[in-house]
Amino acid sequence: MEFLITLVNGLSLGGIYAMIALGYTMVYGIAKMLNFAHGDIIMVGGYTVLLFLSVNPIVAIIASMIFCMLVGIVVEKFAYKPLRGASPLAVLITAIGVSFLLQSISQMIFGSAPKFIVIADLGILKIGELAIGYSTIITLACSVIVMIALSVFVKFSKTGRAMVAVSEDKGAAQLMGINVNSIITITFAIGSALAALASVFFLLKAPTMTPSFGSLPGIKAFTAAVIGGIGSIPGAMLGGLLLGIIECFAQAVPAISPYTDAIEFSILIVLLLVKPSGLLGKMRREKV
Amino acid sequence: MKKTFCKVLALVMCLAMISACFVGCGGKNDDVIVIGLTGPLTGAASIYGIAVKNSAQLAVDEINAAGGLNGIQFKLDMRDDQHNAENVANLYTGLMEDGMQVSLGTVTTKPGLEFKNLSKEDNVFFLTPSATGDAIPEFANGYQMCFADSNQGTAAAKFFNENYVGKKVGIFFKADDEYSTGINNNFKAALADSFKADLKEASFTGDASTFDSQIQTLKDCEIVFMPIYYTPASQFMTQANNIDNSITTYYGCDGFDGIDAIEGFDISKVPQEISMLSHFNSTATEGPAADFIKKYNDKYDEAKEPLNQFGAAAYDCVYAIYEALKIAVENGKEVDGKTSASDMCEILKEVFNSDTFVFRGITGKCTATEKSTISWSNDGTVVKEAIKYIVKEKNA
Amino acid sequence: MKKILNSNIKNYAALILLAVLTVVFAVLSLCGALKTSTAYLLEEIAIKIILALSLSLVVGFLGELSLGHAGFMCVGAYLGGKTAALLVNPLGNGLLTLAVALVVGGICAGLCGFLIGLPALRLRGDYLAITTLAFGEIVRTLFQNTSEQSFGGPIGLATPRFEKSFFYVICFAMAAITLFVIQNLIRSKHGRAIKAIRDNEIAAKATGINVTRYKLIGFVLSAVFAGIAGVLYSYTKFNVSSQTFDYNYSIEILVIVVLGGMGSINGSIISAVLITFLNRELANVLTGNLAVLKDLIYALILIAIVIYTNAPALKNFREKYSIEGFKKRRKEKEQNG
Repeated sequence: MEFLITLVNGLSLGGIYAMIALGYTMVYGIAKMLNFAHGDIIMVGGYTVLLFLSVNPIVAIIASMIFCMLVGIVVEKFAYKPLRGASPLAVLITAIGVSFLLQSISQMIFGSAPKFIVIADLGILKIGELAIGYSTIITLACSVIVMIALSVFVKFSKTGRAMVAVSEDKGAAQLMGINVNSIITITFAIGSALAALASVFFLLKAPTMTPSFGSLPGIKAFTAAVIGGIGSIPGAMLGGLLLGIIECFAQAVPAISPYTDAIEFSILIVLLLVKPSGLLGKMRREKV
Repeated sequence: MKKTFCKVLALVMCLAMISACFVGCGGKNDDVIVIGLTGPLTGAASIYGIAVKNSAQLAVDEINAAGGLNGIQFKLDMRDDQHNAENVANLYTGLMEDGMQVSLGTVTTKPGLEFKNLSKEDNVFFLTPSATGDAIPEFANGYQMCFADSNQGTAAAKFFNENYVGKKVGIFFKADDEYSTGINNNFKAALADSFKADLKEASFTGDASTFDSQIQTLKDCEIVFMPIYYTPASQFMTQANNIDNSITTYYGCDGFDGIDAIEGFDISKVPQEISMLSHFNSTATEGPAADFIKKYNDKYDEAKEPLNQFGAAAYDCVYAIYEALKIAVENGKEVDGKTSASDMCEILKEVFNSDTFVFRGITGKCTATEKSTISWSNDGTVVKEAIKYIVKEKNA
Repeated sequence: MKKILNSNIKNYAALILLAVLTVVFAVLSLCGALKTSTAYLLEEIAIKIILALSLSLVVGFLGELSLGHAGFMCVGAYLGGKTAALLVNPLGNGLLTLAVALVVGGICAGLCGFLIGLPALRLRGDYLAITTLAFGEIVRTLFQNTSEQSFGGPIGLATPRFEKSFFYVICFAMAAITLFVIQNLIRSKHGRAIKAIRDNEIAAKATGINVTRYKLIGFVLSAVFAGIAGVLYSYTKFNVSSQTFDYNYSIEILVIVVLGGMGSINGSIISAVLITFLNRELANVLTGNLAVLKDLIYALILIAIVIYTNAPALKNFREKYSIEGFKKRRKEKEQNG
């Protein structure tokens, strides 16, 4: 029983990580950059939900997704786009700069005091001894739906296929008449909207916001995306769930609970040694 | 091209050195006594630093408006250490070079461990509002306004031994935090053996905010002791609502203060009793504590920069130093803006260590009309009465 | 002959400058002429120079992204600091204790560098980046959970503090040594091999370069110097806390290296000096209510510099308004008349 409860807890946490990792992996797969500011987009999403919550939770969620989309597009346009074609490290550093920027702006607007936010009171589903919050079920369902929708979108829509083309070879895609810039902008918009959605599920579970609350789920989701194979959509889902489960099982044992982070990262290293491009990542052969 | 680089390098080095050498060479106003401190003004812990800054400034402004120390004004100089010990050495020397004469130390413990060593070398008196670590007042120049961790842990254990006999006790603490582990270790050491057979422990690290597994470990306990700050505590309480549990009481230390003031947190949604051991009654509706709360909220934006016990302690610190200096002046000592930090330290130490010095403040146990009595033992720890008050009763 | 000498001076200008500065500082220190705050700033600058140089070996010359440099520093700070704390009583708080601590810290960090170098042989790019990040976090967590008697646990390790009016001289001497070793390595046969691996690993392999060996050399050497920086750091503090060495610290060092220009030793030194100085000045100037502006200004400067120096679209603009561009135009002008 204990095992089952911890497993469910792990899945519910993993669902959130998966949702963030999906956005991460999208951006990485197409723009080929580690977006360190992704976690802070989650934070922006959270505060936007708070602003519109008095209207209606659903309105707030949609408003937050739209606003994050805009933030994603603006950030991409001013901080990342000028560096297209420059060294990937330069983009990494601007991403770090954007992360600092978003955090300090939100501290100026909202202050550094924690804000508690109740988006919705969803209640608990009881099956015998097992109690599962409805938020857990919705989180899991939503992340599966998002994963499938993204996969279908990438595989079958025109824009999606253009995304695949851009991720495979930017130059060739441009020659085929694909507008690489707008494809990358769309990717950032989708990734940021997913981050806003993920912030809602994160806040349903852990309802306190500070200007830096996005960095921890951000870094965890990054780890999840790498475990699953960065760039792979089902991989992000798998990695997220796996990481959530590992975290909950580690925390359930008091003696090893302080070492949770170390355990997660050790598993990551060992896994990468066995499978150097993650669980579902594509191994690229290098050509001479 | 290489040459250019070298020239730039040389230029930059010189510039850095020269300008660094001249920083703070501006003259100091002789009629001002400078009180310096460091604390987190940005970053995750900034809520504590900001409350301290506002409250200390409030006290300084009041004292200055009332004429200061026989006409000598006070000035507060607070620097941002981001709750990071690495910044302290630079900030401390900056403060010294800008004329700090007396200090409130640091807001948090970890930077304080650095501060106490630095200030010992220069013999600077400091009275920290909220760095609770046992090691903070180690040297003769260090004093605390807050209870030390060991005192809090022992006092809490004593309370448990007397009031919760036969109940199942659980502990939820932050394993990578010196405040939390410090209290926890002393609490466990002083806890009666009858609790120990059934004692459950769960912990977390870093900024973790999802505690399902830990709640699972503690759900059969009746009383959960939480020597942590209120933000993770509020998370734990909210998340515990989603799990069947037999917890009836959450018991915290001074870090709990402010839990009823988190913006948006409806404390009545937590069915359990929430109690704490503290030195400031942040829900006071009458008496000196309430007056202070009102003054603070009139001056500062409650939502953005909420008051907590850190702030109240800082307010008391400034007044305690002021009162002590006043006594010293009455005793014929000369104190002004030119007094060196070391001389000031000797003057203040003499007052603080004397048996007759009793400071009346807003932290500790105030009555409806009277301020509390606060004094210091010679090792620098504070002597005042702790308050155990119930933040919220158990829901019927 | 004169020409050779001239080019030698040019090649070693930074080194000579650091050495001269060390001597100058030593004299200044003996006179007691510097303010304490300047001494602290110089300590910090020298340590950041060592960190930036050692990271630039891996990032700039070997071409591997490392986000765990603070981890090596943490190993050095804790193990070197503990050694020093143990030796202070029998040997006194002098140069001998420091030397032993530096050796211990450097070697231990080097061993960790070897360990992290092994996956580097198998992993590429961002996968290696997250592995190094993971390594740094693991080291930090392990030291955080030690008992109070061994490494201080969450409170941190109490370490001896060297005489502060002289320590920056030692830090600068160590920075000069670091520069000497790394510069010589880069300019040797081995250095060319390392750069060849960065530019094209397969081609390097094809020409018979032992990629495994050189990658390990790069990682181990970089870790050794990070460890040494860690020991020096522990000596500048009374209390070392592992929380300092989180991934944000690694990123801070990476920012220095990238802003200095990939594969530019002089650039790393300049940006280490500038960024440390900027951070310090911002912290001193923006106090109280303005403190929140510090991160904002830092972030804006960071973004602006990276875009200015790296954006392909600004290439012409850069050439027009840089020092080199200015000199080139002046030269042309002179030639024309």
